[in-house]
Amino acid sequence: MDKYEKLEKVGEGTYGKVYKAKDKASGQLVALKKTRLEMDEEGVPPTALREVSLLQMLSQSLYVVRLLCVEHVDTNKNGGSKANLYLVFEYLDTDLKKFIDSHRKGPNPRPLSPSLIQSFLFQLCKGVAHCHSHGVLHRDLKPQNLLLDKEKGILKIADLGLGRAFTVPLKSYTHEIVTLWYRAPEVLLGSTHYSTAVDMWSVGCIFAEMVRRQALFPGDSEFQQLLHIFRLLGTPTEKQWPGVTALRDWHVYPQWEPQSLARVVPSLSSDGVDLLSKMLKYDPAERISAKAAMDHPYFDSLDKSQF
Amino acid sequence: MAANFWTSSHCKQLLDPEQVDVVHQQDKDKGITLEEFKLIKTHMANYILKLAQHVKVRQRVVATAVTYMRRVYTRKSMTEYDPRLVAPTCLYLASKAEESTVQARLLVFYIKKLYSDEKYRYEIKDILEMEMKILEALNYYLVVFHPYRTLSQLLQDAGMSDINMTQLSWGLVNDTYKMDLILIHPPYLIALACIYIASVHKEKDITSWFEELRVDMNVVKNISMEILDFYESNKMIADERINTAFSKLALKP
Repeated sequence: MDKYEKLEKVGEGTYGKVYKAKDKASGQLVALKKTRLEMDEEGVPPTALREVSLLQMLSQSLYVVRLLCVEHVDTNKNGGSKANLYLVFEYLDTDLKKFIDSHRKGPNPRPLSPSLIQSFLFQLCKGVAHCHSHGVLHRDLKPQNLLLDKEKGILKIADLGLGRAFTVPLKSYTHEIVTLWYRAPEVLLGSTHYSTAVDMWSVGCIFAEMVRRQALFPGDSEFQQLLHIFRLLGTPTEKQWPGVTALRDWHVYPQWEPQSLARVVPSLSSDGVDLLSKMLKYDPAERISAKAAMDHPYFDSLDKSQF
Repeated sequence: MAANFWTSSHCKQLLDPEQVDVVHQQDKDKGITLEEFKLIKTHMANYILKLAQHVKVRQRVVATAVTYMRRVYTRKSMTEYDPRLVAPTCLYLASKAEESTVQARLLVFYIKKLYSDEKYRYEIKDILEMEMKILEALNYYLVVFHPYRTLSQLLQDAGMSDINMTQLSWGLVNDTYKMDLILIHPPYLIALACIYIASVHKEKDITSWFEELRVDMNVVKNISMEILDFYESNKMIADERINTAFSKLALKP
């Protein structure tokens, strides 16, 4: 690890500390993500192996943060040895959360331009489609996990594949609560068989947030999160979403009627509202896929050849 | 684990035969010839298969393990990376990557049972150490695609998924791991070559089916020839030849 000079801690990711660092030889800025290897009788844990190899495979897309290399470090302290894997990623200076924040508060509050929202959403769909075509779910898409190259107008998905295989963590390793705002209703309701549609729900929430500059469903508990969703989209019914009342955490909820989606995203074009409504379909089977979203009329005015 | 070969790291890592058939300098210094280099790899593929049958893992795990082993030797010498340790470690690693983990102590147990020769004896800690070295040699690229799934689909499409054709071509695919084909050709072409050989052997005419596929038949025939050549030249792998090769490796530089 002597190759890198740690500059500052830039984040406490869900799975470990992240440092901004400089490659001493090339001067290139990188993000270092430390992953503890719980070495025991059985060497490198299979979960870590699969995660790293999936990342290695997926980071070949322009819209997924690039994994530059993996460094394995053993440290021997007081007789015990600790093993760490350092994942070395390309460094990007900001993320979508900070970007939206800077447009909401600060010296110059202003909406994100419609063409920028369109471009970011397209890149997001493209990255998600790439992951899904490899059979990988992200499970934790949120603005903080979308890194931006402001100058080039490029958006990249980060924090990929580090999710545990079958569960969405409620608490991060530092025990801070993981945000629920982008979580799909089937996950909140305790469905055990969820699929690529969970990511598309998150994409929809992020889409709306870019337009509104504030979160669409800012719940602070799983129950509150569901109520936020139901109040806007109406309480789901068996007819709309076959099987919903049989989900593990389903209860009897107040009966809300669906509200107009256009009203919460007033500055969005009607094509945009249509796409958003398809991303926020209750029935996961009906929710639009990333690939289909890329062909939606909302993107007709976008020059797709640049991507 | 993954669905799309064409965008995979496996696809991007395909090599030319000239890149695969390189005896590393350190091995060359000991007098290892290209033929012996290949022979040892074949022998190690057999070793992996034997071990796998004892610890009971799927053919897919065997195929992935052999692929790892072959990739390692495109980058590292046998002098530095003893094949008799690399082979079981690759099986260990592949069992994890393919989600059917085999315990290291079980492998060690069967290694001892299979080989009385001391040179094969390795302990758990050796395997764990080698695991990390192999991961680095592979640059953490662990996703490998194999011809098996394509093979079943193609046989079905050709209307030849009867038990005879399936068994014969499946066995042929298994045997291709005794060679370096998986490092050089995309899996579907290896599958097609095996179907081609099987169809000739069973005297089934499927020329028109191949024509409809619009694949480069020259490539398919070349791969088939390679497989047949391999059978021809390995009719008798004398233990003697392997022992000669290993005794060269054991020389002090």
